[in-house]
Amino acid sequence: MADFHSSMHGSAAALPRRNPLHTWWTILRISIEERLIYRGDFALGTLMRFLPLLTQIFLWAAIYQAVHPRETIAGYSYHEMVAYYLLTQISRAFSSMPNLASQIALQIRNGEIKKYLIQPVDLIGFMFLMRVAHKLVYYVVAFAPFALVFFLCRDFFSGWPDATTMAAYLASLVMAFLIGYFLEATLGLVGFWFLEVSSLLFIYMLFTFFFSGHMFPLDMLEELGGPWATIVRVIPLQYLAYFPAAVFLGKIQGADLAWGLAMQLFWVLFFIGLCRLTYYLGVRRYSGYGG
Amino acid sequence: MGAKPQAMIDQNRQHEPETVPAPAVHPSYLRVFMTFAHNSLVRDMTFRSNFLIECVTSLSWMGLNLGYYLLIFRFTDSIGEESGWGEFQYFVFLATTLFVNSIVQALFMPNCEEFSELIRTGGLDFALLKPIDTQFLVSLHKINWSALANFFFALGLLGYSVVRLPELPGVAQVLLYPGYVACGVAIMYSLMITLAATSVWLGRNQSLYNFWFYITNFSRYPMEIYRGPIGGPLQWVFTFIVPVLIVVNVPARLMAKPLEAQSWPLAVFGLAAAAGSLWFSRWIFTTAMGSYRSASS
Amino acid sequence: MAIIEIEGLAKSYRIYQKQEGLLAAVRGLFHRSYRDVQALRGIDLSVESGEFVAFLGPNGAGKTTTLKLLSGVITPTSGTARVMGHLPWRRENAYRRRFALVMGQKNQLWWDLPAQESFRLHQQIYCIEPAEFDRRRDELVDLLGVQTLLRQPVRELSLGERMKMELIAALLHSPEVLFLDEPTIGLDVIAQHNIQSFLRHYQQVRKMTVLLTSHYMKDVAALCRRVVIIAHGRIIYDGSLSGIVDRFSGHKIITLIFPGNTVPHGLGQFGEVLEEQGPKVKLRVDRGGIAQALSAILDRHTIEDVSVEDPPLEEVIAEAFSIAAEDLSDGAPEDDVPSPLAGQG
Repeated sequence: MADFHSSMHGSAAALPRRNPLHTWWTILRISIEERLIYRGDFALGTLMRFLPLLTQIFLWAAIYQAVHPRETIAGYSYHEMVAYYLLTQISRAFSSMPNLASQIALQIRNGEIKKYLIQPVDLIGFMFLMRVAHKLVYYVVAFAPFALVFFLCRDFFSGWPDATTMAAYLASLVMAFLIGYFLEATLGLVGFWFLEVSSLLFIYMLFTFFFSGHMFPLDMLEELGGPWATIVRVIPLQYLAYFPAAVFLGKIQGADLAWGLAMQLFWVLFFIGLCRLTYYLGVRRYSGYGG
Repeated sequence: MGAKPQAMIDQNRQHEPETVPAPAVHPSYLRVFMTFAHNSLVRDMTFRSNFLIECVTSLSWMGLNLGYYLLIFRFTDSIGEESGWGEFQYFVFLATTLFVNSIVQALFMPNCEEFSELIRTGGLDFALLKPIDTQFLVSLHKINWSALANFFFALGLLGYSVVRLPELPGVAQVLLYPGYVACGVAIMYSLMITLAATSVWLGRNQSLYNFWFYITNFSRYPMEIYRGPIGGPLQWVFTFIVPVLIVVNVPARLMAKPLEAQSWPLAVFGLAAAAGSLWFSRWIFTTAMGSYRSASS
Repeated sequence: MAIIEIEGLAKSYRIYQKQEGLLAAVRGLFHRSYRDVQALRGIDLSVESGEFVAFLGPNGAGKTTTLKLLSGVITPTSGTARVMGHLPWRRENAYRRRFALVMGQKNQLWWDLPAQESFRLHQQIYCIEPAEFDRRRDELVDLLGVQTLLRQPVRELSLGERMKMELIAALLHSPEVLFLDEPTIGLDVIAQHNIQSFLRHYQQVRKMTVLLTSHYMKDVAALCRRVVIIAHGRIIYDGSLSGIVDRFSGHKIITLIFPGNTVPHGLGQFGEVLEEQGPKVKLRVDRGGIAQALSAILDRHTIEDVSVEDPPLEEVIAEAFSIAAEDLSDGAPEDDVPSPLAGQG
């Protein structure tokens, strides 16, 4: 962290009128190089991460066997259910932001935030590029293990979706990344007001795990009755895991799909705005106290 | 002033101690453990709000987990066809998982994590100096009381589910159950301390911890679900090589399902697996301590 | 009969480039490059009961390694040692009840708890009778003047106060042998002095055998009659503190003060001019040539005052270390040579 920053600052000092795009590109490149050093562990770690999924597949196999293999649960056949779990792994690969919020909160707490206030670099933008670099490298390295797992599980899928669905799927993944980033960055910025944000992050993690659809298809809640299904439809967490996976499986089509994508876009803009506002207020408060 | 066991005297005849040796005494392991427990509680109570937050978060995690299975049982009557794992049987299984995990988390988890850190930083020196079994000292010296919140949650869940079983468990089952939970804890502990002890050779290793979580994840489901060309071998490996499937399955079956004839060999094997795991972890631990290098600070 | 006997004790470490991560660890099983570092190259030493011995030496000389071997924390590569008749690295409880180790850079007290809770734990582990425990604790607490701090969490204590608590914890079971590794490191002068006087008093009363390593000459001068210098894993000196100067320093310092403010030229022929300030000149002169140089100077110049002194101890010891280093570069070519041993996991 500190290294990128000083090197970047150094080059900016040498060429004061340098193209800002070039500066951003340098940050991105250095971040990528740093991430690549750990590529071996990355690949192995990614493969290991599918192990819990394996037990989920066995669990659902046993469940479907009990309800008779041909039947569906909440509209999902056994194959669709397994495919759904595999697809949520892809969704989470886009939307999860390990350590982002805690990192921002830590920087606020130990005063490292000051350098962003002094130098012509914007914290949110800087962290965003770091995260993009992180993710890009992750996709490059994780591609092989993901491809292997999906190839082994190809029988659970009924072929590729059509071009429109595919385009919608990719768009929803990109937006899942944006929502994930700006939502978690906002949580980290809460550190301007509270020194300890870890319990807040735990609650967020808890809710995400269950209500993003990471643990089960949210359609199952429809049959539960009560307010659950409505709550889950209204809050934005479903766009982090459930929505992209459901789009890929063709569960959401036509007008519903368009509406879903529009809502997702709304949440992206909402969290960008919220994040900016939180940062603006936080910095104002921070400067007010004199750091 | 130190004690000198009788066996030592022949060997060390050349040296006559200046002070009269006290009679050979061994520390009372129970009282040392009680002191650990007391000290940990004092520490937890100095950070009371933190303690409460930990209790609440782990309980809510469990609550949501339970919610997940309640949801699943809206769609099915049992996990696996004719497997005997109906809703309340499965909740007994879940409670058993919780018992084992909360005990492991309360007693061993913080210690094993710290152990590998101590190996890396050389902080283990002091543990090696104490006239008490090093593995005992290292494995139990801190107790994470907040993890016991789940223990009481499990107690409630077990009580709720057992009375709703089609057939109430007999006296023998109720008496054997805690014993088999203890066997499960022993297996989990052995796996954990073995992985931590490898830090002597491998250095601190985050992947090893992930490994622990991924392996023990298999123990959290009824063993009947592992079937077919992949599940069969998995079941075999995790029963006989790394016996994590024994941990919850044996006590949970004992409690939730009428004693079936084929369960008995498994129950006997459970005892052997626990003893074998403990023996293996002891061996690894002792070997690791022989290779300990005491990093300088 | 010596209480500590060391014969040919040697310890070498194999250092390999360890990498974090499982994949690296797996790779490391098949391919590793080693480097042998010899921390201790075979030392012989015998310490009598009731002695207070200081180990001096530069960083990495093997002082701490020796203490760790004697306390059984690590196992030697070769050689042997007996402390009170025990082989330390067998880690017998009977032995572990009879000694204590205090390390200035590591602490054994529970960080978040008052020190007295850690003391209670020691009472249980070392099986100290309750009455005996209270008596010893009160005595130590009195001597170190920490009555008011017993109920305060250790993390809130100052470094000096914490070291006092560490000492109490180590002495509660009345060890016959005490190993002290840099007990005053990082402490201010007053705290250092307090700990020194406590150690001196307690050792005299208890007749404990104490082995101490320290960087502070003041510790050593205040406490120990016997000094062992270790450099590069070997003992290069074993004797009294004052004997160090005789053994290692070939020089003395002559300080001359001339009348007026003028310093005559040509003093360099008598010895190396260390300092020339106003009327004062310091010369370093070979020990054997002192008398000759003095009479020659007195012959030629008028002098107001003259003194002849030994060089400062720190300098002499530094000199001794560098002599040892030179000896070693001839004698031990195997040291620190990287030896990539592929395929020998």
